[in-house]
Amino acid sequence: METNVTAIMPGLTARVVVNEGDKVSKGQEVAVINCMKTEIKVLSEHEGVVKKILVKEWDELQVGDPMVVLDV
Amino acid sequence: MLKVINGGIETLVEDWPGRLGFLGKGMAPSGAFDNVALGFANLLVGNPPGEAAFEVTGGFFEAEFGLNTAIAVTGTPKAPLLNGKEIPMWESLEVKPGDVIKFSHIGQFGFRWYLAVAGGVDVTPYLGSKSTCIFGSYGGYEGRKLADGDVVRLLKPSRSLREVIGRRVRKELIPPYPREWTLRAIPGPNTSPDYVTAAGMDYLFSHSFKIQHTSNRSAYRLEALPDSFFARPDGGVGGSHPSNIIDHAYAMRGALNICGNTPVLLIADGPTLGGYMCALSVINADLWKVGQGTPNRDFIKFQVATQAEATRARVDQKKLLTENSLT
Repeated sequence: METNVTAIMPGLTARVVVNEGDKVSKGQEVAVINCMKTEIKVLSEHEGVVKKILVKEWDELQVGDPMVVLDV
Repeated sequence: MLKVINGGIETLVEDWPGRLGFLGKGMAPSGAFDNVALGFANLLVGNPPGEAAFEVTGGFFEAEFGLNTAIAVTGTPKAPLLNGKEIPMWESLEVKPGDVIKFSHIGQFGFRWYLAVAGGVDVTPYLGSKSTCIFGSYGGYEGRKLADGDVVRLLKPSRSLREVIGRRVRKELIPPYPREWTLRAIPGPNTSPDYVTAAGMDYLFSHSFKIQHTSNRSAYRLEALPDSFFARPDGGVGGSHPSNIIDHAYAMRGALNICGNTPVLLIADGPTLGGYMCALSVINADLWKVGQGTPNRDFIKFQVATQAEATRARVDQKKLLTENSLT
């Protein structure tokens, strides 16, 4: 089953810290959002494998925008 | 006490009107970003409207109460959970030891919540205020945002809980939270014809400016102005850019600083002086709206106001933040 790791804040994508094919655990940092001149970590809510990375550096984000697809 | 389980994105202890009287020492006033939501939250639990409470920005704050007390949550309309169940906002309710409050992400409108507790927050006032100044690392709880594991002491309620639990803000008085925030403002001190073209001032008071993602408690940055905004080719002895002037004091809070081509609203933790022109000042009664403006999503529009209108609006806001507004 697929699930998305989504943006938790409006802002810009600072970076994605996983690669496609990586295993991730629940609570692991997956990406970073730049907002309010600070960096906000986006954590995975599930254990799984990174299937697809949907965003790149400086992409604009709103709350709920998908950033990474996980196979869980 | 309140035990922090998750500090969230940025949760601070803030009061109102903050730390006034120290601009000459370079110290920002800090204080609640949305003093209206703070005021109502405090009134609901029987506190004076300016008592310190928790300002939850962006969400994800989670904490456990260690005492029997009354709380109220106001601000961005996205109800937090108490022990897994949504709680009503703009209303006071009872909490017991072991109860856990949890905020998720922000809702469709607004950016900040205020969580007030009967009696207030027991942090030591610094220079007359309990407010946190993040960049200065002073005030509030250890001069910083709350973090997982922090234990914050709470004051004892000054009134009987039975007297305050269940009180609500009158529905018609809950402020609307739009995506485009209209801020009434007085032009000046640096305007047309010396610093800004007439067309530039028209643009300033008609354009809807997107709030930039770099906005925080020091400054709300808006989308850039066109070069045609400026009346001068450069800043003369002030510097090479037409926004440069000789250093002067900024009218904190609410001055619109023009930094290069970027309009920057100086607010809670903003700088007290500098070498950029200021084209307008937002009236005090509308400053709360800036705190609910969401970076990278919402817009700000300025509307010309007079000093008389600003004074009247401030008096009206003071009347609003009384127990007469509760049911």
